[in-house]
Amino acid sequence: MKLWRTRADDIDEEMATHLAMAIQDRIARGESPEQARQAAMREFGNPLLVRETTRGMWGGEWMERIAQDIRYAWRQMMRSPGFSATVIFTLALGLGATLAMFTVVERVMLQALPFHEERRLVTVTESGRKGDQPYIPWADIQEWRQRSKSFAEIGFTTSAMGRSFIEGDNGAQQVMHLTVSSNLFHLLGVEAARGRGFDGISSEESAGNANEQTAVLSDAVWRDLFGARADIVGRVVKISGNSYTVMGVMPRGFTFPVQDHAMAVWTPIVLKDVDRTRENAAQRYSVIARLRKGASVQDAGAEMKVVQAGVAKLYTDAYTRDLVTTASVQRYRDSLVRPNVRRVLLSLFAAASLLWVIACVNVTGLLLSRASVRQREIAVRGALGASRRRIVQQLLLEGILLSAGGSVLGLLLAVGLLKLFSHGLLLQLNISNVMPDFRSVAALMGMTAVSAISAALWPALASARAPIEPALRQSAGQAGPSRTQHKVRSLLVVTQIAMSLVLLVSCGLLLRTIYALRQVPLGFRTDNIIVGRMAVPSYRFADQDMNQRLYTPLLARVRSLPGVESATLMSEVPLGHNFNMVFSFSADGNSADAVKRRDLRAQFRTVGPDAQKVFGFRMWKGRYFNEHDTAGSPAVVVVNRAFVHEYSASNDPNKVIGQRIMNFEKDRPATVIGVLDDTRQVGVADQSAPEVEVYLPQLTPQNGLYKSAEGIAMSIAIRTGRSFSSLIPELRPLMTAASPELAETKFTTMTEIVEDSYGSQQLVARLLILFGGSALLLCLSGLYGLLSQLVTQRTREIGVRVALGARRGQVVGLVLRQAGRMLLFGSLTGLVLAWFAARLVSSFLYGVTAHDGLTMAATALLLVLSGVAAAWVPAARAAGIDPVEALRAE
Amino acid sequence: MAKKSDYKNRVELVQGTLDMLILKTLQWGPQHGYGIVQALHTQSGEVLQVETGSLYPALHRLERQGWVRSEWKKTESNQRARFYQTTAAGKKQLVADHDRWQQMVEAISSIMQTNSGEER
Repeated sequence: MKLWRTRADDIDEEMATHLAMAIQDRIARGESPEQARQAAMREFGNPLLVRETTRGMWGGEWMERIAQDIRYAWRQMMRSPGFSATVIFTLALGLGATLAMFTVVERVMLQALPFHEERRLVTVTESGRKGDQPYIPWADIQEWRQRSKSFAEIGFTTSAMGRSFIEGDNGAQQVMHLTVSSNLFHLLGVEAARGRGFDGISSEESAGNANEQTAVLSDAVWRDLFGARADIVGRVVKISGNSYTVMGVMPRGFTFPVQDHAMAVWTPIVLKDVDRTRENAAQRYSVIARLRKGASVQDAGAEMKVVQAGVAKLYTDAYTRDLVTTASVQRYRDSLVRPNVRRVLLSLFAAASLLWVIACVNVTGLLLSRASVRQREIAVRGALGASRRRIVQQLLLEGILLSAGGSVLGLLLAVGLLKLFSHGLLLQLNISNVMPDFRSVAALMGMTAVSAISAALWPALASARAPIEPALRQSAGQAGPSRTQHKVRSLLVVTQIAMSLVLLVSCGLLLRTIYALRQVPLGFRTDNIIVGRMAVPSYRFADQDMNQRLYTPLLARVRSLPGVESATLMSEVPLGHNFNMVFSFSADGNSADAVKRRDLRAQFRTVGPDAQKVFGFRMWKGRYFNEHDTAGSPAVVVVNRAFVHEYSASNDPNKVIGQRIMNFEKDRPATVIGVLDDTRQVGVADQSAPEVEVYLPQLTPQNGLYKSAEGIAMSIAIRTGRSFSSLIPELRPLMTAASPELAETKFTTMTEIVEDSYGSQQLVARLLILFGGSALLLCLSGLYGLLSQLVTQRTREIGVRVALGARRGQVVGLVLRQAGRMLLFGSLTGLVLAWFAARLVSSFLYGVTAHDGLTMAATALLLVLSGVAAAWVPAARAAGIDPVEALRAE
Repeated sequence: MAKKSDYKNRVELVQGTLDMLILKTLQWGPQHGYGIVQALHTQSGEVLQVETGSLYPALHRLERQGWVRSEWKKTESNQRARFYQTTAAGKKQLVADHDRWQQMVEAISSIMQTNSGEER
């Protein structure tokens, strides 16, 4: 910049010298000074132009011009703050929504995993008659290792049984505990920050030795629980009561599984004898493998299909063999995103992008109207010698400046949006603290440029192309857009209406879905229930009966709190998504009946006393558990209607009641005593699944189910008339007194749990309401803006009409007809588009079809009515025009 | 552009010859813009009047190409002015331009002579 100033000054001085010399010469030849000056100046020509051209010889003047244009654009923006604010806000809506969705999509789907050459990491799953079997027995993995050539390494993991607590320097804390094959960290390509990890340990090959167990800690565990002490490696720490020698600490930020808890420990898998077989009792593992260099996922998949065909032959049980006939390979990163999450994200991203397009179209309309107001200004600039290119450049820069303002505001909006929906995002996508990162900001800058150019280019070209002379000759008041410009702007409004309708119809369908979901009978009461989710520190009660030592006393204390009507325990409350146990039969043989039995997968739930009082479950047949069912009485179970449907071919509850479907322990068979009416256990939109319930007071440590049924997760459910906030402070001390680890019990209400289980529909619906509402607002403002301008411009014509006897109603009709045409075309186009777009949301719908006529008609009607309302204001103004005033004003 | 302005009775310069003429003028020593105009005017028998709108852009273009260089000096009448002088590259360029010009003149005049002969 500075350099340019001096060169410009230089040239100016040179010109001045030239002139001075010419004048002196003329005076010397005898002309009068005045004559000499005028003649010399005439001879010289236009000094400004000479200077500009001369300076142009040096190149680089465009930088200076851009700086000038930016200053000019800034002044223009400041001169009409209302207009600028409208444009900025409109763009911010579109940019903010799109940026927020992009941030989420990027975080969930595009983030590179923090592992060495993560694109070579894959998961391998078996599949067969009943679909994917993601958990693989060790014996199969060994076969894969020997038979396949696509993998450099194959590792496997499984969560440790139950909840794990690690004893740190100041008390115990719950941690994520994953047991892993000893090659896992090597496979991931991540080295321990301290110590050497599991290198050289091959415990998975050797029989388990509980005395020589080793562990690797996450950085957070080392810092938070062991004060980042330097002598951590080699120390013995206690995890759930067992001793482990610390072999290493992973680097800060390392988590595995990805996006899981930062408080984590990893221990090598210890194989029991049964784990080496393919029996049902053998532990199954998630497999993660690293492809050999140069091997593709497709090649590996093809190879594994062949390999698995051979491996399946090793299964002696025909039933199990049918479930694992083939294998497939998927990139590890892709395996982390569930298909329904992908659908949710892409649909929302599409919706946000549509809003962005609407905003851009809206701004194009605004800039066009602005250009018609500024015709004279631009004509004057043209007359003074500004080239068309320069005018286009200047108008584009104005667009970019406005767009930049929009993007700053949009960034704020995006942050707000992400904050507002953080709960839903965490719940549905398992991501927390999503904020735009540098990639999102880069995308934002890209979008800003695109919006600026798409919105401003057309108006700029139109302005630059407009002939100068007529614009100059007209008086300011007459200056108005041409006929074609009006057509263009009407078209823009129609486009906006059509696109908004697409969003609104999608939004309407989701609202009907939510409404339908809320009408679904859940099968239990949800009011006035407080739920506390406990992570059970079962290691503390290793040799005791937890029921006697922990649960019964805790329940008694809770019940004695004032205002508590009843309280119960449940391994998982209905619709809770914390903990899931599945019950399956281990029938022998391959008869059709046995296969049907073995195919049955039932939800398994442990319930405590008074569950019916708290939740109001209804019985279909038989009875529920009662106080006469004890550890000493005959073992009983309760099933539900869906179970009967799957279990009994004749769907007859009486044939199920009295059946012995499981053994509590040797020689203690459990009899079905009742059938519950169906409830929604998994999700509001999901049909009732088969369920088996056992009664907590009947379980003893001798029971084979004991550990999983009551030693992992337990929720306490309390029916109370008191408010959540008043009861919690009294509950917490009781929990802590029962066991210090229970201090971290998470309390919530049943209403909230139900709310959360509306699932992705809720998130999609809320976001679509926001997007659809914004779109409606934008298209109405577009319509209003165009009609207002039209009325202003036709003031005189309308004045004449009124003077000639047109009635007010006719004038109103004149404006409304125009609005009606646009609304009609827009709505019809929008309905056609919505018909196709509905496929995008169809997978989220419940109780309404994607092409629901009522929703479409109602939404279109809503749009048309609000359109007419928006048009009414300018129409009324037109009707109020005083012919005398209107005619005199010219 | 300046060439659109209404100067009458002027002989327009043949396209592309201005650079050559400037370099030629500067052969006799450093000169400022006004001086170049005057020199071209007198030496052409008062036929050529170079416009400032063409001259200065040309001078600056030549300077950028490295064929002339400039410095601020005092004139005889003690006035500060920007003097231009040719560089070695400029001298070479002048020779090349001159050669091409001569070829051109010969070519054109031979065509003009034949044509005029036939027309008669």
